[in-house]
Amino acid sequence: MEQDQRIIVGVYHLSKNFGKHFGLHDINLQVANGEFVFLVGPSGAGKSTLLRMIYMDDFPDAGQVVIGPHVSTRMRAAGIAELRRKTGIVFQDFRLLGDKTVFENVALALKAAGAGLGEIKKQVTEILMRVGLYHKRYDFPHELSGGEQQRVAIARAIANRPAVLLADEPTGNLDAVVTRSILELLFKINAGGTAVLMATHDLELVKSFGQRIIYLEGGRVVKDSEMIYVGDLRKRIDDSLVGRRAERLEERDIRGEREER
Amino acid sequence: MNAAQIGYVFDEAATMLRRHKAANAVSIVIMGLSLLILVVFLLITLNMQAVIDRAGDEMRMYVFLEDGAGEPAARDIQMRLLGLAGVEEVVYVPREEALVSFREALGKDSDILDALESNPLPDAFRVKLKPDYIRSERLEAMSQEIGRWKGVEETRYGERWLERGEALVKGFYFADLFVGLIILLSVIFVIANTVRLTVISRQRSIEVARLVGATNAYIRIPFLVEGAVQGAVAAGLAVGLAAIVHALARRHLPGLLFLGGEAIAAFVFVCMVLGAVVSLGAMRRLLRL
Repeated sequence: MEQDQRIIVGVYHLSKNFGKHFGLHDINLQVANGEFVFLVGPSGAGKSTLLRMIYMDDFPDAGQVVIGPHVSTRMRAAGIAELRRKTGIVFQDFRLLGDKTVFENVALALKAAGAGLGEIKKQVTEILMRVGLYHKRYDFPHELSGGEQQRVAIARAIANRPAVLLADEPTGNLDAVVTRSILELLFKINAGGTAVLMATHDLELVKSFGQRIIYLEGGRVVKDSEMIYVGDLRKRIDDSLVGRRAERLEERDIRGEREER
Repeated sequence: MNAAQIGYVFDEAATMLRRHKAANAVSIVIMGLSLLILVVFLLITLNMQAVIDRAGDEMRMYVFLEDGAGEPAARDIQMRLLGLAGVEEVVYVPREEALVSFREALGKDSDILDALESNPLPDAFRVKLKPDYIRSERLEAMSQEIGRWKGVEETRYGERWLERGEALVKGFYFADLFVGLIILLSVIFVIANTVRLTVISRQRSIEVARLVGATNAYIRIPFLVEGAVQGAVAAGLAVGLAAIVHALARRHLPGLLFLGGEAIAAFVFVCMVLGAVVSLGAMRRLLRL
C-alpha cells in the first residue's frame, strides 16, 4: 500500500492474538518523519509486542505495518535485514555483546550494513563522541555502568543513521538521573531528524515533555495526541526546554572535541 | 554480501576463535577424543586388512604333474596355466628342488629323508593367483578344470584353510562394519552436540546481529568457519594421539601400519566438512536461520 511520504511508521488495523486475554486489537497509528512519540501503557498492555511487529520480529494476524518501502505482508528474510539496517532498536536490557568492546559493539551495525573499514572508524568515533563514550571505546560492557551501556546500545542503534529509532523501555533499568540523561540523548538524536518511538510504562516521566503520547491499554490504543509533522515538530523542539538542553549538549560536545584535539 | 562483508565474516570467525579460546579448546578436546576412537578403529581395520591381504598374497596353488609327463607336456601345461584368468605367475618346481625345500622345512628331522631310495616328490607348478580369484568357489572350479588336463596328477591349494579363513574374514568384515557404523554415528552425535552447544552459547550474539540487520549469510559464515576449524583441529588432534598410541603399540607389534598421508588429509578434510555441516544444521534447527 502507498503511504504518505511524511509518515515513517504506519500501523494499519493491526491485530495479534495471544489467547483470549492477550494481544493487540485493531491498532492504527502513524509516526511522522522526525517525530518523537511516547508509547505509554502499563505492563502487559502490548507495547513491546507492538514494537516487535514494527521491527518485524513478529507479524500481525491481521492488518499491516509499513515502514518506508517495507510492508509487513510482503516481507522476506532479506527485506527484514534491510529494514533493520534502517531502523535503530534499543532495549531495556541493552543487548550488548559481552565479548566485544564498546567500539566493536557499535561497529557491528556498520559491518552488517557493509560499510568500509575507514568509514566504520570515522562513523563509530563520531557517534561515540556524540554519546560521550569515546574515552571508553576499548572497554567491555561489563566495565560500564547501566547508563553507559544504554548509551552504547543507542550509539549502535543510530550507527547506520536510521530514519526511525524504536526504544523499548530504554530507561527501565536506570535510576532517575541516568534516565534523564538517556532521554536527553534521545531528544538530541531526534533533533537531528531521526523519528523516535519510545515505549515506557512511566507516564509521569514523559508527560512533562510535551511530546505526542499514544496510550496503549489491553492491546488497544485508548488515546493518541495529535501527530506532528516535521515543520511543527522542529518549532516545538526548539521551543522546549529539552530542545535547548540538546543544543547545550551539542555545544559541549563540540567544545570537548576541540579540547581533545 | 559485498567484499568488505566477506572480510568481516572471516575476521569475525577469527575473533570468535581467539576470544573463546577456553570454550573452543574444550570443544576441540571432546571432538578430538571421540574422533580418536574412530581413528583407532580405522587403524585396527587397516592392519587386519593388511593381514588378510598378506595371507592372500602368500597363498599358492600347486599343480602336480604325473610321473614321467615329460618336458613338452609340462611346457604345454605351463602355457595353459598362464592363459587362465586369475593366474598371475607360474613357477616350475622340479622334483629335486621340491625335495631340497622339503628337507629344509623338516630341519633337524630331515635325516628321515635319507632312508628314501629315490625322490618320491613329483614335478610341479607353483601358481600365484590374483587377489580377486582367491575365493573357494573360484579356486575349486579352477582346480577341477586343471585336474582334467592331460599330464596333471592333482592340484592343491589348502582348501580347508581357505574355507576357514574365508569364514573368519567374512565374520570380521561384518563385525567391523557393524562396530564402525556405531562408532561413526556416536562420533557424529558427539560432534553435532558439541557444535550445538557452541551455537547455543552464542545465541545472544546471533540475536543482536539479526537486530542490527545482518543477513543470514553474514551470521552463518563465522559459525561455519568456526565449526570447520574445530573439526579440522580435532581431527589433527585425534591423528596425533593415534600416532602416539601407534608408536607405543609398535614396540610390541613391529609391522603395525599407520594411515598414509593421503588418508590423513582426507580424514581431516571430512572432519572439517562435518564440523561446518553440523554447525549449519544446529543453526537451522535452533535458530531457524
